[in-house]
Amino acid sequence: MGDMSVGRTARIVIILLVATMMLTTGLSVRAQEAKPDLSGIKTYLLEKTEALNKGAQSLKKNTDAYYELAKAAKFDYAALWNSKKADVIKVLEATKADWMTISPTYEQAEGIVAGVPSLQKYDVILDAGVKDEVEYDITLPDGKVLAKPGNLFGLLETTLWGTDKAFIADVKADFDGNGKQDFGEVLPDANALKGFGDSTASYAEELDKSAKAWEPTASDAFTALVVMVPTMSEYFESWKESRFILGDKAERGDFAVISRLSDIQDILSGLQVVYKGVSPMVASVDTARDTQISKGLDDLRKYVADLYKQEKDGKKFTPEEAELFGSEAQAKATAITGQISQVAAQLKIKLAE
Amino acid sequence: MLSFLALIAMFTTLSRVQAEGSDPWNEADQIRTALFASQKALLTGDNETAAAHVRAAEAIYRQSLRQPIAATQPDVTTSLDKTFAAALKAAQSGDQVTLSTSRGQIWAGLLHGSTGVVLVALEQADGATARTWLLLRDFRTPTRFSRPGADATLAINALIEGKRSAAEALAAVRADLLDTYQAQLTETLTDLDIAQKRNFPVRQAEVAGLAAGYFDILSDAYKAQRGPEALLSTRSSFAGLIQAITTKNTSTYEIARKQIDAALKGFRAAPLSEAEQARRAGQLLRFVGLVPVEYARGIRDGKVVNDIEIQEALTFQSGASAAFADLMSSLEKRDTEATNRIATLLSQLETQVRTTADPAVVENTANEITGALNKVLPAEWQTLNSGSDFDVISSVLDQIEPAVKQGQYALAESARLEAYAILDSGIEQKLRGFAPEMALRVESLFWQGDDQVTGLAILLTTNAPASQVKASLTALRTALSEAEVLLGNSKSAPAAVVGNAAVIVFREGLEAVLILASLLASLRTVDNRQFRRPILIGGALAFAASAVTWWVANGLLMSLIRYGEKLEAVVSLIAIAILLLITNWFFHKTYWTGWMANFHAKKSKILGGSLVVGPSLGLILLGFTSIYREGFETVLFLQSLVLDAGIVVVLEGVAVGLVGVAIVGAITFALQVRLPYKKMLIATGILIGIVLLTMVGNTVHVMQAVGWMPITPIKGLYIPYWMGQWFGLFATWQGIVLQLVAAVFVIGSYVLAEWMNHRKRAKTLPSKEHQSPGTEPVQVSGVTH
Repeated sequence: MGDMSVGRTARIVIILLVATMMLTTGLSVRAQEAKPDLSGIKTYLLEKTEALNKGAQSLKKNTDAYYELAKAAKFDYAALWNSKKADVIKVLEATKADWMTISPTYEQAEGIVAGVPSLQKYDVILDAGVKDEVEYDITLPDGKVLAKPGNLFGLLETTLWGTDKAFIADVKADFDGNGKQDFGEVLPDANALKGFGDSTASYAEELDKSAKAWEPTASDAFTALVVMVPTMSEYFESWKESRFILGDKAERGDFAVISRLSDIQDILSGLQVVYKGVSPMVASVDTARDTQISKGLDDLRKYVADLYKQEKDGKKFTPEEAELFGSEAQAKATAITGQISQVAAQLKIKLAE
Repeated sequence: MLSFLALIAMFTTLSRVQAEGSDPWNEADQIRTALFASQKALLTGDNETAAAHVRAAEAIYRQSLRQPIAATQPDVTTSLDKTFAAALKAAQSGDQVTLSTSRGQIWAGLLHGSTGVVLVALEQADGATARTWLLLRDFRTPTRFSRPGADATLAINALIEGKRSAAEALAAVRADLLDTYQAQLTETLTDLDIAQKRNFPVRQAEVAGLAAGYFDILSDAYKAQRGPEALLSTRSSFAGLIQAITTKNTSTYEIARKQIDAALKGFRAAPLSEAEQARRAGQLLRFVGLVPVEYARGIRDGKVVNDIEIQEALTFQSGASAAFADLMSSLEKRDTEATNRIATLLSQLETQVRTTADPAVVENTANEITGALNKVLPAEWQTLNSGSDFDVISSVLDQIEPAVKQGQYALAESARLEAYAILDSGIEQKLRGFAPEMALRVESLFWQGDDQVTGLAILLTTNAPASQVKASLTALRTALSEAEVLLGNSKSAPAAVVGNAAVIVFREGLEAVLILASLLASLRTVDNRQFRRPILIGGALAFAASAVTWWVANGLLMSLIRYGEKLEAVVSLIAIAILLLITNWFFHKTYWTGWMANFHAKKSKILGGSLVVGPSLGLILLGFTSIYREGFETVLFLQSLVLDAGIVVVLEGVAVGLVGVAIVGAITFALQVRLPYKKMLIATGILIGIVLLTMVGNTVHVMQAVGWMPITPIKGLYIPYWMGQWFGLFATWQGIVLQLVAAVFVIGSYVLAEWMNHRKRAKTLPSKEHQSPGTEPVQVSGVTH
């Protein structure tokens, strides 16, 4: 009996040891960072970069065709307009249509491209870079080099719609035959347009390849969110300065064809996809915060979508209204970024500089 | 028709709130949205819908937020009640400006209310309430390069997890929130000026409302620092500002704005921590020193010859003023006269630079400031501060890119040399000691570069393009930022800490198992078997008591955690002292043989009835004391590791160690199998020796990091950073010498013990058969020790 009780007590001691061991191991396992499934982010990004690449190659074909037409007319744009009016209109409309497709497609991916350190350079080249501050040059078909020319979407837009006179032929073109030269009825400089088309196709292809090679990490996802969400004020600022608000008084030539509100909406949908990828991680440490961030992002996108709808329905916002709406959007974005920073710290996720 | 729309607006807002549940952040968000909807409605001239939205917002406030806020800060709800009434009146009358002001004030009022609830909850150690209400807060506006901190969130989580006391959490949360709202106040005042310039009265009104509300959040701190009269006067300036915007009176607006700027000058709501103050002091001293250097380069014969240099001098002057403003209130308490004098001199310095004064005059002023600062700044703020040096190097490097873009390579080169001089005078020595490869990388990027990046010196002397200089600067900045992390991080590699904790637990656990086994084995006879159980009960109680000791020790440490690395240094020193004693005892046998003999003697006394307590209680106490001693030691050692790597990492090591102990225990008690205990004790003893050397190295490192010990790098000795993290090996004379001393002590102790044993054996060999029972060799499952 005595031996049995000693054996039992010894077993109790061992069980106590093992229980403590299991408890501490359990605690440490619980504290380990849950591996997030970020495959959805990559799938979304590749869907966009593939579509962008496809559209950019189509745009290149059209800018090549326009270049061939101009070359055949020995770059005499008046002669070109007089002799090949229908062909010129057709190819330029097709080029514009390509631009109208690839620009928003890129915006839908911008939240990720611009926020992920390994892909950021493509955002500068394609969409965000400013003249003289970008790190690339464009060599035009005639050998001329445009050093640090700015971003390609902006160059294409200002050339195709003629908001920058530097790359426009001095020809009065009337595409729709209404007797006057409307906004966007211009003959671009074929050399410049082909140079921009070639570069766009080339960088879109490179971006697609880099996106395929990219393996998303939690740090990438959180960095993209904290870098991109607070940039709303910059986007609203460019909206306020664009033709959509200032009309003909606008000094900037870009964001004249597609409203910046549309871009903001697209960027936010991309960022929602990113957040969805890390949401389970966030919920694992703070459910209330996860709800707050998801709701915040959704509210912000809906808020911008509502403004965009009003604008599309014909509402003309005054500069003060644009300021008011922009400030509200920025306040929302600041709050969301703050919340994301809190969970990144809770999860000990390193955010890239 | 309009009434119908208004009803729908109100109904929609309220039903959304009900659907989304009751969270303070969510309700506040709904109020904000409803008030914005009201503003939008007024833009279209729909007063009725605008008023309906205000009513809906107020209903949410009254339904969910008013009561908890009133319970902690009734004056805030009184003010909110009035503002909602003003907002409703404004909406009904189509007064966009007043509605916007009210919206700003209401939002800031809700933040004020939330801040109060959070702080009161923390005063009562109610982490759950604090966490819920902290979700309703503003953050500093992030940029591409800076993000809001998470001090408050982490502090509340630490409180809930029992890692921080309520008082510490309260201090951290208060500092974070006050700092945030002060930044918001500054930002809204800038926005206010922009809106004024653009002539956007509605926006201006909203921002003014927000600014006044943010100031209200800071009012307690303001009152404490500046007195009730100053608070009253500043509040009146904010009221005047709002009034001026409402009445569109530009001159009154300008007066109120200037009054506010003057009232806020030098005010810092959240006091800086000691470390932050030291960092600002370092910046202040460096920046003041740089002003005359830059200025002298930009001026010749009373004329500006290089505008960029003058701009840089002004940048450094402004950096110095900003750092001084942060320290002003602390310095005033030390010496008001000297502090005021420094403020005057800094202002003079700016005037002198702007009015192209003689460089000698500028230098004299800077020297006078430095002299005054040396007298008024506490000595500990003037010691080498890596943080502020990194800040200043970053500011100096900022000059290079603009200079290169303007083709001014000589200017860029002088900035490079200046930055390098600051690095060389302090940080580099630390880096050479703690992370030599990083020291080499940073230095190479300043000079010749490496395989991937050409160094700045080469690029600037060859007039390289701006893009290459930028790339090199980016690499240098990255390396500097990594170096800052390395210097700020005196922590060991987590896996090393897991290993060390496991060794300690296994070793002490092994001793506990052997003591138990030895005591139980000596009670093998049928008559004595009844006494085994109390011993085991005592052992189990000791195990539980060790867990309680852990909890108490950890709580005590966490209450002192604010002392950071200084606490770590002290605790590590205690742990090292005890480890040294134990290794010494171990080799001299008093630790083990003597200790065991003592237990056997006690046991004999208990069983012989010579102790006052009964046999059962006596044996429980014997089991308890024999095991608790090991548990207590373990808890103590582990605390220094907890401070080094955190509780989770240490618990992982504890788990691994316990697995080992459980296996040994199972084999010993359940299977009754013999193990080579002596060899195991020796092997674990050697491992403990390695842990000791690592601990000595890490402790010296921590003491050097907090400035308690000088840093003398060993020239020519290269020790990779990982060896520091794993074995506490750093290439400084102090670290290596003290590790050698510890090793000599342990090995010397062993040699001495062996020699003494040898002599003793030689003397006692003939009378071995007459050994006393108390010192007889210990039998553990047939193994003799």
